[in-house]
Amino acid sequence: MRHKQLAILFFIFQFALFSQDQEKSKTQIQKTSLSENFWDRTEFKVGFVGTVFWSNGLSIGGEYLWKENEKTKIRRGKERTNTHQFLFNGNLGFVTNFSTKTDTGAYTNFGLTWRRTNKQGIQFSIELNPLGYYRSFLPETYEVNGDSVDKVFLPGRGYYAPSLSVGIGRKRKGKVRSANYFNINYTMRTPYNAGALPTFSFQYGFRFNFKNKKR
Amino acid sequence: MNLPTNTFKIVLLLFSVLFIGSCSNDHTLGNLDATVFVRHKDADMPAYIRGNGTEKVFLITLHGGPGGAGLGFQGNAFDQIEDNYGVVYFDQRGSGMSQGSYSEDDVTIDLMAEDVLALVKVLKRVYGDDSRFFLLGNSWGGALGPATLLKDQDEFLGWINVDGSHSPKDLYFEYIRNFERVAATQIELGNSVRFWESVFDELDRVDRNRVTLDDFNTLNRLAFDAEEYLTDDGFIKKVENGGISVSDYNLLTFVWNLLKIQSILDDDFIGKLSFTEALSEITIPSLVLWGRYDMVVPEFYAQEAFENLGSVNKRMVIFEQSGHSPMFSESNQFAEEVLRFMDENK
Repeated sequence: MRHKQLAILFFIFQFALFSQDQEKSKTQIQKTSLSENFWDRTEFKVGFVGTVFWSNGLSIGGEYLWKENEKTKIRRGKERTNTHQFLFNGNLGFVTNFSTKTDTGAYTNFGLTWRRTNKQGIQFSIELNPLGYYRSFLPETYEVNGDSVDKVFLPGRGYYAPSLSVGIGRKRKGKVRSANYFNINYTMRTPYNAGALPTFSFQYGFRFNFKNKKR
Repeated sequence: MNLPTNTFKIVLLLFSVLFIGSCSNDHTLGNLDATVFVRHKDADMPAYIRGNGTEKVFLITLHGGPGGAGLGFQGNAFDQIEDNYGVVYFDQRGSGMSQGSYSEDDVTIDLMAEDVLALVKVLKRVYGDDSRFFLLGNSWGGALGPATLLKDQDEFLGWINVDGSHSPKDLYFEYIRNFERVAATQIELGNSVRFWESVFDELDRVDRNRVTLDDFNTLNRLAFDAEEYLTDDGFIKKVENGGISVSDYNLLTFVWNLLKIQSILDDDFIGKLSFTEALSEITIPSLVLWGRYDMVVPEFYAQEAFENLGSVNKRMVIFEQSGHSPMFSESNQFAEEVLRFMDENK
């Protein structure tokens, strides 16, 4: 049984190896030379964040372009050029459930985004934010210790909240509102009760910058 | 180009609106609509306070599960109760939208009973020491209720047991007996014969001498299925309305909490926990409400609860066209019974 599994793995691996060589022979990578100006490499974003049914909120953030290269591939006889970017990324958001006020919180997270943009400006991105913090805000809260009951000031709890977002978008070349995006976001909140709570949300918004501002 | 400046202004405004909107509470006694969290032993648990609190008489509800939702009681019956009294829907520790930080070892029914008493202290702090309380438990809440009352029943004017599981210890064996009885009757009547025959097949597969969690869960699921067939065949009245509205709970948080708290507590109480003998120590006025066709906590327990309760003032009502949730299937009669009990004992 074990030998059979190894044989299958080897069989698959040789194709992976072969196809990688094929890719290499057809792909050209050109590193983009980036401006030294901070504002030229920085974009901001603002958008809706939430689950629509249970929580709704706002998210703002910034991105700083770290690396960029252009990959040119020949696929089915056609030349295709995609831009690949690595960006440092930071977000700040606030979400609430108006119905019961039990799911209100603010968060911040920081990490790295990989984004691919094709010639038509269609973007695909993966955003990994290992540094994340979520602070829940509870409505009126009273703490009970024995017979004493005290009102809690700014009640809520802090959670380590790393996140992962996968999304699509569309670039608007040369505009102040430089792109639209739609992400599906997974965030973990821990320690939450006796474990780690997985949460999902949508993010829809636009990015803007100052570099395309008319002078 | 003013886009960024305008955007910042709009964002700031929206943040302010969101924050203010997420903090408002209405404690007007005539029309209560407030969400208050109880912080107790590393848990923050929401109490949704609704209804008419002019007399400062509150009905505290204990949901099923464990891991159910406090607001799951909402519907026609509780709307009528809210018209007359304050109703407190409570998400127990690790349930609904409760949050906190504690270890699995810390979660016990004993601690959850203390949480309920902590809720009473908070309500007294908010609405005054002259506030008075009734306690109502459904299903798992029928185990948590006695656990709470055995710690301190002086805080309550009365106990309402709605299809409550006061003895999960021997519920498994009663499932088998009840399924055999009901399945035989239904097959004889020619109702949903294929389903009821499959019930016998299922009973052949489970261990009849020893309780295992897997077998218990199989029969528990089968009990809910059986109620659906009994509804289709006209023995249980169709649910009029009720339950949770889609915006009340974050579904993912709710389901995760449900699975987590059940994984912690199930081992501790299924096949082990029983308050049957201790019920005699509960002496406050008591009302036992049960659905005739309850397959989840069978009618046998209604009689057992009623006979063992130590209260002098006690009453049992069987709803002839109900299963595990008479508050939905016979909501008007349910509200009538609860209101009569509260009126008489407030």
